[in-house]
Amino acid sequence: MRELVTPGELLFERPVRMEYTFIDNNRTYAKVVGLFEKERATLIPLEGIWTPRIDDTVVGTVVKGRNSVYEIDLSYFKRSILIGGMHETELTPGQVIQAQIKDIEDYRTLILFRHRVLSGGVLIEIKPAKVPRLIGRNNTMVNQISELTGTTMVVGMNGVVWLRGGDVGLATEAVLKVETEAHMQGLTERVREMLQQETKR
Amino acid sequence: MASKANKPALLIDGKRRDGRGFGDLRPLNIEAGILKNADGSAYVEWGNNKVLAAVYGPREVQPRHTADPLRAVIKCRYAMAPFSSIGEHGRTGPNRRAIEISKVTREVFENVVMLSEFPNSQINIFIEILQSDGGTRAAGITAASVALADSGLYIRDMVYSVSVGKIDGKLALDLDMIEDNYSEADMPVAIAPRNNEILLLQMDGNYSREEIDRAIDMVLEAGKTISAKQREALRSSYSGASR
Amino acid sequence: MEAIDVIKSSYIRELLAKGVREGSRGMMDFRNIEVKAGVIPHAEGSAQVDLGATKVLAGVKAVLGEPMADTPDQGTLSMSAELLPLASAEYEMGPPSPEAIELARVVDRGIRAGECVDLQSLLLEEGKAWSIFTDIYVLNYDGNLFDASELAAMTALASARLPKYEDGKVVPEEHVQDLKMNNIVTSSTFVKIGSHVLLDMNGHEEMAADARLTVATDGKLVRAMQKGLRGSLKIDEVDSMVETALGKHEGLKGLIERASGRSF
Repeated sequence: MRELVTPGELLFERPVRMEYTFIDNNRTYAKVVGLFEKERATLIPLEGIWTPRIDDTVVGTVVKGRNSVYEIDLSYFKRSILIGGMHETELTPGQVIQAQIKDIEDYRTLILFRHRVLSGGVLIEIKPAKVPRLIGRNNTMVNQISELTGTTMVVGMNGVVWLRGGDVGLATEAVLKVETEAHMQGLTERVREMLQQETKR
Repeated sequence: MASKANKPALLIDGKRRDGRGFGDLRPLNIEAGILKNADGSAYVEWGNNKVLAAVYGPREVQPRHTADPLRAVIKCRYAMAPFSSIGEHGRTGPNRRAIEISKVTREVFENVVMLSEFPNSQINIFIEILQSDGGTRAAGITAASVALADSGLYIRDMVYSVSVGKIDGKLALDLDMIEDNYSEADMPVAIAPRNNEILLLQMDGNYSREEIDRAIDMVLEAGKTISAKQREALRSSYSGASR
Repeated sequence: MEAIDVIKSSYIRELLAKGVREGSRGMMDFRNIEVKAGVIPHAEGSAQVDLGATKVLAGVKAVLGEPMADTPDQGTLSMSAELLPLASAEYEMGPPSPEAIELARVVDRGIRAGECVDLQSLLLEEGKAWSIFTDIYVLNYDGNLFDASELAAMTALASARLPKYEDGKVVPEEHVQDLKMNNIVTSSTFVKIGSHVLLDMNGHEEMAADARLTVATDGKLVRAMQKGLRGSLKIDEVDSMVETALGKHEGLKGLIERASGRSF
């Protein structure tokens, strides 16, 4: 049973280590608006900002740079620098890449590595808080959209999603549906129904 | 406080001008998430007060030298629209009163926002009083608290605020403008309800020590209603499928 | 706050953990207070207050003005405060900071809500009244500007003498009568550092403070309060601060009476 909770609401009378919560006086409280599942001890935020973490996958565009050092636009207010490999092809401004966060320097600059160029395709931006829902438990949601539309997808934790091939329009529609209905029950089923209905036409 | 010369009757048959009892709030309506551009927003109608609050952030600190490497900095603007009051035309932007309110409001939110989670960043809180009828700083804080929750920033608690005044020698909750103009005292209070901590406390007029204690009790009692409306506003912003 | 300030103020917390303050002052003690009235003879009233190393000057000027439209039987009061750049390395030139505005408004609120100045006595004739300007000048900062400024402003007003007004003109050289006072208000400002509550914080204690409360009172009733800083206060803490402030009033009022040479 999922319950919508608001910041400061008591979740457990005992300390429980959970994301998006805090412990005060041995009690566990929500620090965001989100969906709380008591049995699983999870809280999924419904709004929010992305707090970058090491190893997060991100999607962005190259702004400038050379000699394997590039500034990347992740639609995030902190500077992002990609350090490429020595013998790789130089990137050019405007290219779309996926990469991983290697380090967060003095809280100011994100250092990226392990990049891959994403050529062609389209980018859409969703609220970073909805990314976990778009990925789904064990990638169920993103795999389902990808399979039913034939679209290749890369979901960045920064809220930027890259799509290419298959029915991109339908895949986009599905992504936006997930974003707007992230808080509702049975979303995976409803997205599947929508996609199956559309692909039958 | 205005001159006592033209003071209207504030109590009629033991009731207030609008028929309220001494511990009654004016009608309060809160909507969350109504501005698309803002990271979080809220609109509050509280009696005749109409208040819009928005939150932007975390974002880059401006100017850069004000950045704090250990926590986010909060910038806060409370301002009354020039057309917000009956009669006079106010000036555009914050006056001295508004600068003071902006400062104490910022201090309220520095307490509940988990600033160390967002080092080297800035959080902007904007409170615009579109129409005013007494108690606007309380309405602004109540609205901004909902806007903050709507933004998804990490917060420890949802603060509410209301004031208690004294009219004709009696303590009265949530004064409107006329009551406030002719009151003997007014005391706005903001509370973090989880542990009933006082985050804002201002007062002027005359109160005995015992009246201050009773006034705070009235704030806590009314706070139950205000808190419930704040949380309900957030819940109902997710009730529809298409938002 | 700069990182260096955190380090500088940390010893305050160490001391408090042992139950002591700098200069082995009691938790509810003021520092040494000196009040001098009439230090600026050009002003209608003036006072300098030394509260420990905090030094505040207040000057009162009376200017021929007009009553406000909604109070035609009264003169007007206004209050400003300047945190002078020479008072602290932290203070900058330029328009008044939010801190300066808050200081002036909190001092003003206590004096106004306490109905200290008899505003009706300021009316000279129909449409003409004294406008009383009180300007607070912070000369040196070492914490607790609120109580030093309240005391300076109150003493400057209590010692002010109004110029002669004759045939619609002011004769600024001739001061002919005391500004009429109906009440005396003083303030006590407390800070909370961790779980410790203390009165009259010095500069380092203010730097370490989590929350602050100013209580202005005439000894019987509380006339104004202002909480500041990001920390929170408990309800019973507020109650005990109010109790202490009520008890401190007589002593502070005595300083005003002695300096101004008037009794109220």
